[in-house]
Amino acid sequence: MSNEKKGLLTSGQKRKIRRNITGYAFILPNLIGYSIFVFVPVIFSFVLSVMSWDGSKKPMEFVGLANFAEIFGDKVFRGTLVHTISYAVMTVVPTLILALLLAVLLNNKIKGVAIFRTAFYFPYIASIVAVGAVWNMLFQPDFGPVNQILKFIGISDPPRWVVDKDWAMVAVSIVSVWKYMGYYMIVYLAALQGISSSLYEAASIDGANGWQKLWSITVPMLTPTTFFVMIMLTIQCFKVFDLVYVMTGGGPGNATKTLVNYIYEKAFTSWEFGPASAGAIVLFAIVLVITLIQFSGEKKWFKDL
Amino acid sequence: MKKRQFVAILMVGAMACSVLTACGDSSSQNQDSQSTSGSSDAQKADQPSTTGEDKAADSGGTAQEGTQELSVTTWDNESSPQFQAIVDAYEEKNPNVKIKIIDTSADEYNNSLGISLSAAQPDPDVIWVKDMGSMLQMADKEQLLPIDDFIARDSLDLSIYKGAAEQLMYNDKSYALPYRNDWYVLYYNKDLFDAAGVEYPSNDMTWAEYYELAEKMTSGEGSSKVYGSHNHTWQALVTNWAVQDGDHTVVEKDYSFMKPWYEECLALQDGGYIQDYSTLKTANIHYSSVFKNQQCAMMPMGTWFIATMMQSQEEGETDFNWGIATIPHPENTETGYTVGALTPIAISAYTDQPDLAWDFVKFASSEEAAEILAAQGVFTGIPSETALQTIASAERFPEGESNVEALNYTHYSFDRPLDPQIEEIRTVLNEVHEMILIHAYDVDEGIAELTERVAEIKGW
Repeated sequence: MSNEKKGLLTSGQKRKIRRNITGYAFILPNLIGYSIFVFVPVIFSFVLSVMSWDGSKKPMEFVGLANFAEIFGDKVFRGTLVHTISYAVMTVVPTLILALLLAVLLNNKIKGVAIFRTAFYFPYIASIVAVGAVWNMLFQPDFGPVNQILKFIGISDPPRWVVDKDWAMVAVSIVSVWKYMGYYMIVYLAALQGISSSLYEAASIDGANGWQKLWSITVPMLTPTTFFVMIMLTIQCFKVFDLVYVMTGGGPGNATKTLVNYIYEKAFTSWEFGPASAGAIVLFAIVLVITLIQFSGEKKWFKDL
Repeated sequence: MKKRQFVAILMVGAMACSVLTACGDSSSQNQDSQSTSGSSDAQKADQPSTTGEDKAADSGGTAQEGTQELSVTTWDNESSPQFQAIVDAYEEKNPNVKIKIIDTSADEYNNSLGISLSAAQPDPDVIWVKDMGSMLQMADKEQLLPIDDFIARDSLDLSIYKGAAEQLMYNDKSYALPYRNDWYVLYYNKDLFDAAGVEYPSNDMTWAEYYELAEKMTSGEGSSKVYGSHNHTWQALVTNWAVQDGDHTVVEKDYSFMKPWYEECLALQDGGYIQDYSTLKTANIHYSSVFKNQQCAMMPMGTWFIATMMQSQEEGETDFNWGIATIPHPENTETGYTVGALTPIAISAYTDQPDLAWDFVKFASSEEAAEILAAQGVFTGIPSETALQTIASAERFPEGESNVEALNYTHYSFDRPLDPQIEEIRTVLNEVHEMILIHAYDVDEGIAELTERVAEIKGW
């Protein structure tokens, strides 16, 4: 009785607080890192998007939505939106299809399957700078191997790839597909293991052939995975920077300048952090919308399952 | 129970600390690899302090030993003696001062410097400014220390710079002294000219004569092809000649004056007398390798390349005979008109030892330093007959009076005007340059886009 009166808190409450402290302490290392390197900068860029600031000690100036008006009035910025979307379209669909086909092929018990899986996964772990430099040489318009092969098979006037404003983005997309399909192949492989073999057995008894099984069992059963892969890929495409920076530097002209390249240039060439942050907010909004679609989709698939 | 919790919290705390220190480590390692990329004398730039604590520890330590430390920023330090020679000379004169070099690759220099200045740290103290455009950007952001008071205090005689110091003034303030001065000349490969039985380029040539010579000197096919001349991918190698007569700059309301220059450049490229722009761009070919590998007979390039060639001959990397001629001139001027740029040296506004920094800046832009640099084949902001003679008498400088003559100029235009938005405008110039040279635009389309976009930036 007297014991309880001493403290303001009951022993149950005390225990709860202690437990919480322990919990917070465990997530603390990650939380500190996250706050310093992610959370604070993100909040800061929201603030910056309505400010005028050149990165110096001079005070920021509140300008409201003028930064957004500025970038949407900028032909170059509108161009980057188009380039980014075209890059996403040219990358997402081929990556999805190739990753799925690879996964289905490498899900069979063939000789050396581990070697093939490793080989296709390998580009994913290669350094993007090295990958970009090597592909640039392969795509060299006059004596690069890619165009040599194209000429050999009878295409007399092959595209000039990274120095052709209409083909540069295609070249970047090809490299991107090559680099990332191995990773999504692994995702599909994992999902394939989850499809019950009884479905295939039943189909075999009914006399279905390989294509019918692929089309009527594998593809529908993989729909949640396909959806997930598509969302991840799309977000990744909107965030593309490094590959473009290494391969084309946004050129020729600004034919391959993407959203993030634009943000980078505004921030670190022109030192206009306001419009740069406004661009980042636009990117954030796009990714947010895609993520919301994913959330609602996830609910749907899991209800179905 | 309590004990266990205490231990848990302690461990978690330790983990947090280790995570944070790990982050600190990796960031300073990054800085290291950046600052010493490819450099053999890694020791000097080994410890760029990235955090305030580091700095405090440093100055604490150095104060005890009675030495002072000064940090300076450089680019591509290993490829040219231009910075190291001065740093060594200063350290020799001032044994109690230790110079710390923060080196970055030339391409990333302005970005990296801009970011470190945004942090308003006491390092770096002294800044070698890569181009006048970035000097204006930094001055606008109040990141450079105005040096007028120092100049007045030491009653420094600015007349030795023959007007260059005044040209660096911005909004009536001095932010920097001229360190280097570079202008364009024409390099040529004597051996290739001898083999072809063609006379060397003269010091009085119009651009039309140069085009003819380029055509004449082109020979061979495939990988053994020798091009008559070489244009690096810079937009400057077309626009410079358009502003050479001094009637225009690269910031104009109407860019139609550039049309003939782009047409000539395209004619050279399409005729196969210079290497194709796309090839140079995709293979990321540096101009020095083209000249050093004797793949071109001539090359218009800045005087900074003299030191590079001398170093290359010295190290036995190349052993062919080369020469220097005056840059060709437009029809409407006489010979001796050239285009160039100054390399300023300035002090960071956040330095914690402004007096020492000023002392270094003063030394680096002094006549004494000019002599040291001249011996290395580097031209400074102090044009003098003796410096010219020193360069000309250097061991690896090409023989013959015409090479020395080629270094004289009668008229000097800046390759870019002192315009606070010049860096943004140069992005546009570069993009349009690229589009024209890969034939994505014809010249008229390019000129129209330039005119439109620059007007937008300038608010015209």
